[in-house]
Amino acid sequence: MANSNLPRRIIKETQRLLSEPAPGISASPSEDNMRYFNVMILGPTQSPYEGGVFKLELFLPEEYPMAAPKVRFLTKIYHPNIDKLGRICLDILKDKWSPALQIRTVLLSIQALLSAPNPDDPLSENIAKHWKSNEAEAVETAKEWTRLYASDA
Amino acid sequence: MGVSWSNNNRRRRRSTYFHPHPHPPHLPPPYYYPPPLLPPPAPPPQGYFITSSNPSASTSAATGYVGPPAQYYPNVYTANSVMLHQQPLYANEGGNDIHLSPPPYVDHQTTKKIRNDVNLHKHTLHLCIDPNNPDHHLISFDFDALFDGSITIFYLAKEEENCRFNPLFPDLFEPITFPFQKGAGQKFCQPSGTGIDLGFFELDDLSRPSPGEDVFPLVICAETNSISVLDASPHMQITQAVLEKSNGVGPFQVKVVRQILWIDDVRYELRELYGIGSSATADFDDNGKECVICMTEPKDTAVLPCRHMCMCSECAKALRFQSNKCPICRQPIEELIEIKINVGNQ
Repeated sequence: MANSNLPRRIIKETQRLLSEPAPGISASPSEDNMRYFNVMILGPTQSPYEGGVFKLELFLPEEYPMAAPKVRFLTKIYHPNIDKLGRICLDILKDKWSPALQIRTVLLSIQALLSAPNPDDPLSENIAKHWKSNEAEAVETAKEWTRLYASDA
Repeated sequence: MGVSWSNNNRRRRRSTYFHPHPHPPHLPPPYYYPPPLLPPPAPPPQGYFITSSNPSASTSAATGYVGPPAQYYPNVYTANSVMLHQQPLYANEGGNDIHLSPPPYVDHQTTKKIRNDVNLHKHTLHLCIDPNNPDHHLISFDFDALFDGSITIFYLAKEEENCRFNPLFPDLFEPITFPFQKGAGQKFCQPSGTGIDLGFFELDDLSRPSPGEDVFPLVICAETNSISVLDASPHMQITQAVLEKSNGVGPFQVKVVRQILWIDDVRYELRELYGIGSSATADFDDNGKECVICMTEPKDTAVLPCRHMCMCSECAKALRFQSNKCPICRQPIEELIEIKINVGNQ
């Protein structure tokens, strides 16, 4: 399919992701489309997502690396910067993208976003409101969602 | 081997982009010289200069150069920018905003080599106490020289026309000159009894250059004798440094701020490039030599003014049509300079 003329950078990145995965992150390309990755991120310790396994999809557009990868959570998650469709509010996926960034750095950034929710720059207004009005309760909800939707069982 | 290169984005006359620069510029100077890629340390300077023993590490704060460290990568952990809540499935869909503003025209120049006859290894420059006179300080450093010449030490010296230096306080320390013979990997140790009593100076005056950067606390001028009698213009390398004490106490530490070449009546400033050498501190998935964009070709293009050598020329050309920001630090690109490291061009 789209695997002919795959840029060497993508091949290299893929090899490195498979041979030296970042802690708590796995990414493997789909067999029929080497630009489409199945991603799993473990919920960071000491975050409401601890113990959860979050599935994401990552797609490298034709313009990559001049354009950012497209990334989306497939696992439901209660997070002020991630909406119900799994879209992620992260600057490096938008205007702060740089071709020096890679799949690995993008996924590390998303992992960091799980550790540091930012309700002041929300994507999900309701979750952000919840987070700001009653953080303890919002964190509990996030933990509950982690148990409900992100358990590997 | 080493190369040097220069550019000047205000003047585009290709044949003359080595311009005389009679006064020290206040803004980032237009002349930059990368250290050689291949094993630089001491032995024979094969017609070249700038043998910084660890080019990539030397970009650290210790050099006093402005600019981000060699392995600085964009702020991947900064989350969250405002974005529109629209329909697309991916938050970044349609995110082609980097394409919207056309990049400014940037020069894509290749480099030119010049030869330096004498080079002071700036990381070896030290100030120590004269064992026979604890009030006085002596200079030491390593250097290479292709020809015989002399070294002159100035304190609080002002740069004048034609790369000449005048001490502001000649009564406190008369500039002192020592001859040397040609040879690589030499060590210069200022003889006991010829040092300076820095107690006469305010620490503040020693720890920074004058606001206009024409007076530096320590100036070392290394000059080689002309090859022929006809060649009247000397070759000089000038090292300008400040003297610091950590927290105002302890021994003086020398911090080189700038090095200047004066060759055939033209003044060049030496600047290092970030990422030109392979680095031991390279990111774990980046061996440091590949273009950060294609991750395939060797880097040969540097971005100005931030001096990040991070791309191959092909990717640099492609980047010009996509973005005007440096891939490493996101500073606006003013120019791209291609540096042929192994090819003996010009």
